[in-house]
Amino acid sequence: MGPNAQPVTAQALIQARSDLARRLGVDENEITEGLVEPAEFPDGALGAPVEDEMSAQVITPGWRIHLKANDKTYEYRASDRQLRLFSFNGENYRI
Amino acid sequence: MSRNNIWVHLTIALTLVLIAALVGGVRHWRRGPQRSSQPVSRPEPTPDSQENDADEQDDADKAEVLVRFRPGTTREAIDRIVAQFHDQVEDRIESVDGLDVIEDEDGKSAADVVAQYRALAEVEYAEANSEITLDHEDTGAKHVHANDEMFSRQWGLANNGANGGKAGADIRAMWAWAVTKGSDQIVVAVIDSGVDYTHPDLVRNIWTRPEIIKAYRDDDLTSAEGIDDVHGLNLVDDDGDPMDTNGHGTHCAGIIGAEGGNGFGIAGVNWSVKIMPLRFMDSDGAGTTRDAIEAVNYVIDRKRAGVNVRVISASWGSTARSRALEDVIRKAYDEGILFVAAAGNASTDNDQTPHYPSSYNLGNMVSVAALNRNDQLASFSNYGAKSVNVAAPGEEILSTWLDHGFSEKKGTSMATPFVAGVAALILSQNPKMSVDDLRAKLLKSVDPIDSLKGKVSSGGRINAAKAVGAE
Repeated sequence: MGPNAQPVTAQALIQARSDLARRLGVDENEITEGLVEPAEFPDGALGAPVEDEMSAQVITPGWRIHLKANDKTYEYRASDRQLRLFSFNGENYRI
Repeated sequence: MSRNNIWVHLTIALTLVLIAALVGGVRHWRRGPQRSSQPVSRPEPTPDSQENDADEQDDADKAEVLVRFRPGTTREAIDRIVAQFHDQVEDRIESVDGLDVIEDEDGKSAADVVAQYRALAEVEYAEANSEITLDHEDTGAKHVHANDEMFSRQWGLANNGANGGKAGADIRAMWAWAVTKGSDQIVVAVIDSGVDYTHPDLVRNIWTRPEIIKAYRDDDLTSAEGIDDVHGLNLVDDDGDPMDTNGHGTHCAGIIGAEGGNGFGIAGVNWSVKIMPLRFMDSDGAGTTRDAIEAVNYVIDRKRAGVNVRVISASWGSTARSRALEDVIRKAYDEGILFVAAAGNASTDNDQTPHYPSSYNLGNMVSVAALNRNDQLASFSNYGAKSVNVAAPGEEILSTWLDHGFSEKKGTSMATPFVAGVAALILSQNPKMSVDDLRAKLLKSVDPIDSLKGKVSSGGRINAAKAVGAE
């Protein structure tokens, strides 16, 4: 976890690892943590809207969480309210 | 010390005493509202501190309120009430029966004094005094200074160049207020995450369904009896309680219509207006297109039922186009309802990559970009020479928030309600204005800004004063 990570990120990180392991069908031990960095997202959907979703057009502070598995990097986006998976096989997911 | 030196020192001392007296006198004479930059609640002073404060208070610090007592309240009764509150009648406005200027004598804030009087059955209304002055450029134009505690932080309404800003890079609200401060006859629908309709700086400007208007019925959403839409609608839970659990909608509502001149919190673009809260986004700040459509449909229904709702403020969107959403906004146009929408925060050109609903080419659509306190397009703001119409303040914007608090936010979300608010100000002067004329008025009354050339179709920042004919 990066130096800027807050407790809320720790919770998001646990949730993200679990989610990615389930999606990839791998053990959580096979997932490694990459960079966790603070970010500002363009909207209430953290710049990762799902289909048919409208979101508040307010700059939303949060974190980018990079996880690695099978030699690929996956990006999760977290705020103090929610967690999303960004562009997983071209789709966004609200976790 | 020589004799000559003594006279020189005496002259200097006398001059200093005279200057001090003059400064004190001017301060005493310039009795105006006092503001502080931080408070977010109305603390009750202890009896001890009240006494001490009152001792040290000079007239410039005393709260002054305008109170109108109901017909039939005798002079004796008024004097008794005023004495009970440890206040005094400073002046009587003879032309208006029962209207008195009352000065606080025991160290209370203007907001507390107003609240004290409003709680009485004998009082028709009470409001904090506002300072009206000639403008600094000596043009003869008047402006109204809000006495709300945090008004000095609202650069979007009045930018004095503080915090690295550019003086005058604002919507000229103070000049507009000399002409109109809004009207409770104009309803603005805030389709958003709901609104905290109990917020003390909003509660008096929240729409309540009049008894003569029937409860809302939508067979898809409601029971046969309809929803008790007392203040609006909640599409997330399909009920009549549009309470905000995110904060975004409450923030937008405050920009449009936080109660102004009450000595508390902030001032909205409209001091008086009716906000109709609609909740279609959840506590994360996201919602479905279908619920957005249902919300617009509700506004149209209420308009047809007789509610004077003329403006929808929409601080949300996505890049996904929905023909159904476009159709229902077009229907709102047919009903004479302006639709003000955020241009988006991706720093992209909406002419190339549209953002909806703001990119729908409709007669009632006003698409809004965001400016910083230097009149520069905000770094995050979308733009579009054809598809984005105007710009408004959208960075470091202070407004109402959850838990009866206040918060600074940035986004085209914040710029949008400034424009919706100015539209409501225009309508307060001319309630019958057509939606076409209203849109044209907004776009023609902008201040041209260099940084907006080729970025928005009007080339400028909205100007409330021009929009209401104050400039």
